[in-house]
Amino acid sequence: MIELNNLKKVYGTKTALSVGQIIIPERDFTGLVGNNGAGKTTMLSLILDLIRPHSGAVTSKGKIVPETDEWKNYTGSYLNEGFLIPFLTPFEFLAFIGSLHGKNSSDVKDFLNKNRDFYTENIDSSKYIRELSAGNKNKIGILAAMLPEPEILILDEPFSNLDPRSQSWLKMKLKSLHLEGVTILISSHDLKHVTEICTRIILLEEGIIIKDTKTSPDTLVELESYFSVQV
Amino acid sequence: MYQLLNHQRKEKLRSPFWTKNILMNILLGFLGLYLIVTALVVSFMAAGFIREEFEGRDVIEVFTAFLFYFFIFDLGFRFLLQQLPALSLQPYLTLPVRKSKLIHYPLLRSISSFFNILPVILVLPFFIMIVCANQTGLYSTIWIATVFSVIITNNFLNFILKKYFVKRPVLILAIFLVAGCLLYFDSIGNAPLSGYFAAAVNAIANLPFLFMIPLIIAALTYYFAYHLLRKNFYPEDSQTTRSRPESYSFLNKYGELGELIGIELKMILRNKRPMSVLIFSILFLAYGFILYDDPDNHFNLMLGGFIMTAAFAVNYGQFLFSWEGSYFDSFMVNRVSSFNYIKTKYILIAFSGFMTFVITLPYAFISYRIGFVNAAMLLFNIGISSVLLLLFSTRNSTSIVLEKSQFLNYQGTGAMQFLMIIPLLGIPLITYIVFLILGIQQYAVFALGAVGFVGIIFYRPLLQIVVNSFVKRKYVMSSNFRKK
Repeated sequence: MIELNNLKKVYGTKTALSVGQIIIPERDFTGLVGNNGAGKTTMLSLILDLIRPHSGAVTSKGKIVPETDEWKNYTGSYLNEGFLIPFLTPFEFLAFIGSLHGKNSSDVKDFLNKNRDFYTENIDSSKYIRELSAGNKNKIGILAAMLPEPEILILDEPFSNLDPRSQSWLKMKLKSLHLEGVTILISSHDLKHVTEICTRIILLEEGIIIKDTKTSPDTLVELESYFSVQV
Repeated sequence: MYQLLNHQRKEKLRSPFWTKNILMNILLGFLGLYLIVTALVVSFMAAGFIREEFEGRDVIEVFTAFLFYFFIFDLGFRFLLQQLPALSLQPYLTLPVRKSKLIHYPLLRSISSFFNILPVILVLPFFIMIVCANQTGLYSTIWIATVFSVIITNNFLNFILKKYFVKRPVLILAIFLVAGCLLYFDSIGNAPLSGYFAAAVNAIANLPFLFMIPLIIAALTYYFAYHLLRKNFYPEDSQTTRSRPESYSFLNKYGELGELIGIELKMILRNKRPMSVLIFSILFLAYGFILYDDPDNHFNLMLGGFIMTAAFAVNYGQFLFSWEGSYFDSFMVNRVSSFNYIKTKYILIAFSGFMTFVITLPYAFISYRIGFVNAAMLLFNIGISSVLLLLFSTRNSTSIVLEKSQFLNYQGTGAMQFLMIIPLLGIPLITYIVFLILGIQQYAVFALGAVGFVGIIFYRPLLQIVVNSFVKRKYVMSSNFRKK
């Protein structure tokens, strides 16, 4: 479904990402792990055509991403606050995203009612997004990514700033979306979360893939030993 | 106290604005210098001028009356330009610093602002040369004390007004209008307010025990400003409660385009900086009173037509995409067609031009020509200027901080903004010069209007050029927008 070929991104003299080939097939549930600066966000940004690669290309359903807008029809994504429109209320924002995908505001209300357990704040509140807490901003972004019922869902650090209850909700939700056939790609710092829900783990270090495995019961132990440090 | 002073200085000096924007700083420096020199010259020449023009009247009295005008304008300018003194208080709230100190400090510090130095420079030479030389020591002391009190009063009054009116733009316009009318009546002699002011200052200076009054007024304004800041002390206080957000359901039937226009309108109305651009553009329309002094001057008519129909477009349009810098990515990853995205901005510019055209139509009472010239310039601005603005905006990629305050905020301003103006004003100018050489300058605006009309008919291919440039530039733009 998504293919990265000889993809390279350089900032100044530092190579942010350099991968030979990654193929993310349909119905894959991939977790990206790595330290800060390992190239996780760079990789996701390249897939979403937010930055231009120095060489190589990303294709989505066989089409090169920068050359078409088609992938936007079936890709839902949330990387950071830059995806939110700060002066809209949460509902206005979701209604706007919905309208771009042919959903009217009652569709959006239905969607929110279905996911009431995740975003527990009053959705009709007149608070603007810029006034929300980091966790609630994150939730709105994740909901906006799921709203269009995408075939591919891309999330950067979805568990950050979430309270424990929302974390477990999100894990369940992602699992069930995966069962429904959605292709999912997330990055996370939380090794437990990714090994628990992802079927495949890609470990990045300084822009290079160190490990690319199917998740097995041993994966968590292996990853923990990889990242362990002596104090 | 000293550390607070130090932190505030650092906050100013280390703001990225100073280091990044050398060109702007030099320009601002020149502006400051120009104002200081002007104030000095006026002050030194005042006495001679008054003796010549107002023969037989008391020089000090006339000068004091003139100061009345100055202080009214001073208050107006302060309102538009002077910032509330704010040391970002949040980091200090949990530290062992007395609360009152945190408020007194920036308030007192605001006294050393340029806005207070300028009036002092304006008054001081006159005071030394004329007042001191001709009056008793007591009179002079009280005169200057009164004048300084008024300056201080203006300083704090401005903060109070600002805090109160900043969320009520309609009231601001109303007050400017009322002030304008009062000054007008004063100047034609129906309500000699400036005379009363001069008489009051004179009375105070002659009756020393009255001199407490201006001091008390100044102290009162300080007291109120202090309490206002104190009331807004907690960060959560600065959030205002709102009624339900307004919706623009009438836009819904226009599909994606309507949605995008709705978002952009909300962006303008819900954020300080674009809102201040809107107010400033409307105030700018009053420029016509100066320009239309001579309705037979074809050049002034053309320039007026340009300003009346492009005031908002130019002010707002210089940042067309930068306004959206903080959420540009949301348009990049969502299903928004580039053409509609660009067309949204085109429609907004065209619509704003039409609105300002309608608002300024009463100028046609001065001369019917103004109406026709403005209509022609409206066509030109919609057809040609707007496309140029869009094209240039794709070259401009500094994100604008929407919530950072108001006038004279140059964050995000660069050389591009100055370059943009050249073709926008240049094309009408060159057209005018060519027609002037041919001796038919009165037809220049009609030519511009005709060109604009053709531009409107062919807006699709013209916008497509912009779209192509946008698609090429979007990576550079979005990566610059992400750099906060």
